[in-house]
Amino acid sequence: MSNNKNIYKPVRALLTDVITESPLIKTFVLEPETNFSFETGQFIELSVDGIGEAPFTPSSSPLVTENLEVTVMKTGYVTEYMHHLKPGVLMGIRGPYGRGYPVRNFFGKEVLILGGGCGLAPIRSLLYALEDIKDKLIKVILCYGSKTPTDCIYKPLFARLNHTEKFEAHLTVDKPDEGWKGSVGVATTLLNSISINIKSSIAVVCGPPVMMKFGTIRLLEMGYNEDQIYLSMEKNMSCGLGKCGHCMMGEFFVCRDGPVFTYDEIKHNPEIWK
Amino acid sequence: MQYRCIKKEEWDKTLEQLLLSYTIFGSVRNEFGIDYELISPEDIPRISYNTPKPVTSLKSFFLPVRENCTSEKVYEKPMIILGIPNCDIEGLCLLDEIYLDSEFSDIHYRKRRENTLLIASDCTSIQEHCHCLSYNIHPYSSVNADIAAINFDGTIVLRVITVKGEEFVRKIPAAITPENDSILSLVESAHEATEALLSAADYGLPDVKASGKRVIESGTAIWEKYSSRCVSCGACVSICPTCSCFLLIDKPGFEKVKQMDGCQYPGFERVAGGEDALYELHNRFKNRYLCKYVWKSMKFGSIACTGCGRCIEACIGHINKNEILRELDAKKVNVE
Repeated sequence: MSNNKNIYKPVRALLTDVITESPLIKTFVLEPETNFSFETGQFIELSVDGIGEAPFTPSSSPLVTENLEVTVMKTGYVTEYMHHLKPGVLMGIRGPYGRGYPVRNFFGKEVLILGGGCGLAPIRSLLYALEDIKDKLIKVILCYGSKTPTDCIYKPLFARLNHTEKFEAHLTVDKPDEGWKGSVGVATTLLNSISINIKSSIAVVCGPPVMMKFGTIRLLEMGYNEDQIYLSMEKNMSCGLGKCGHCMMGEFFVCRDGPVFTYDEIKHNPEIWK
Repeated sequence: MQYRCIKKEEWDKTLEQLLLSYTIFGSVRNEFGIDYELISPEDIPRISYNTPKPVTSLKSFFLPVRENCTSEKVYEKPMIILGIPNCDIEGLCLLDEIYLDSEFSDIHYRKRRENTLLIASDCTSIQEHCHCLSYNIHPYSSVNADIAAINFDGTIVLRVITVKGEEFVRKIPAAITPENDSILSLVESAHEATEALLSAADYGLPDVKASGKRVIESGTAIWEKYSSRCVSCGACVSICPTCSCFLLIDKPGFEKVKQMDGCQYPGFERVAGGEDALYELHNRFKNRYLCKYVWKSMKFGSIACTGCGRCIEACIGHINKNEILRELDAKKVNVE
């Protein structure tokens, strides 16, 4: 009982840049007052002074500790405020919290990543981490779907990955525009055209609940075992400390026991796709 | 287990002396029932011993309804809480699991706990909805309070439970080791008598394990039926000694206000995108039972109900959780 740290107090972080990724999504570059490290897939509580706090998984590399990036979709009260912020503002960070991607378990495997919408934010951080350990991986395949070409974030990432040894990236949109020459359909349709050895593979799914649900169903149909599928769950992680109760999903506090779970760990809970 | 005895008049004088260095809250009977009150010297004779639960649960001393949780706080005087029933002591143990965990300990909760001496009392009577024994909680404290004080015909019997309690009692010279076992026999007889009352009152209630199993196996019909009388007022979660969910509200200067919250209020689990796993009233209603009888048990090894019965008394829809558990146990529910 000797730790006198106040677990609710954020550390200050300077907002150094705001990058517009799509009409609804921006990336916020933050420089915390002390070096900040996290494991890919863990999340932080980011606060706008006096307005509110919300959980986000950093989209930047876990190898970088001087600054971090958080990619945010304008979707609620706090994120609406965030989208109006300009560089130079001080923000608050608590964390990192929770259990991220167990990348050591990916050694010697083919990694299939299925993403949708703003789910590409945590995935980008994972991709940076996987690039760092690519010698230990067989290959990494990214299948990502966005609603429209305009909604697709990190466009240069796809070209870069397709020029990186052992990596391939596929992109699809639900609703193409006139100039779109790529795939059309939801993210799971991309799974029909990839070549992967399922037995020596693991799958990561991150995106909106409906995409996570149908993505998981499709992966199971393809022959993935329930413990080969990693899901990044999104609940109302308010305190991040396993105390406030808002993110309880069955017996799990998503903020402490997750946010990354295998499907096998949480499949018994009917709430997971809600 | 060590015991000490002290004449009631001497004990009252001791409390008066203690008021110089401690803030004392005691269980006191007033025109509305029994509740914890701040004790001044003239209140000392009003302190109730051997009585069942006060209206307010013990958590209110450690988890204020609303507080700035990022500010520094000064705890000038140590605190004594006197006359706590064992159901509340056991409830506090679950809060300790949540708020004092090794990785993330809540500093304000911890300082309040460290600053407080818990003096329990044995229940020698029960109230209408008391059912602690159904959940293997005795109507007397012998493990988790610091001391228990029981009043027997003008003698206060002190059961010394923790090291903190032992250090405290050592400073009371008038508290002496009982000469023989006769008074301790009376204490034991009182335990048996109270447990007999509870056993009679609890007839038909499923045990801890069965309750959880029944809740898991239930369909939606029973929850729709009982929640039709629920208005989401949250009285049950406010008064419950183990419900401890909260909301963090941001204030300028990166300060945060922690406000008690509860899963019975609409929007409790709503995320920014609008998804809300507990949108429907019957889902919220059932969630509390799942949390208390299934999930907390899986996570902390004990269910989150101490059998105090406060939620039954507080419900303006007259929803009696024991009725639900009995109905589930009798398998009157169609599993869907």
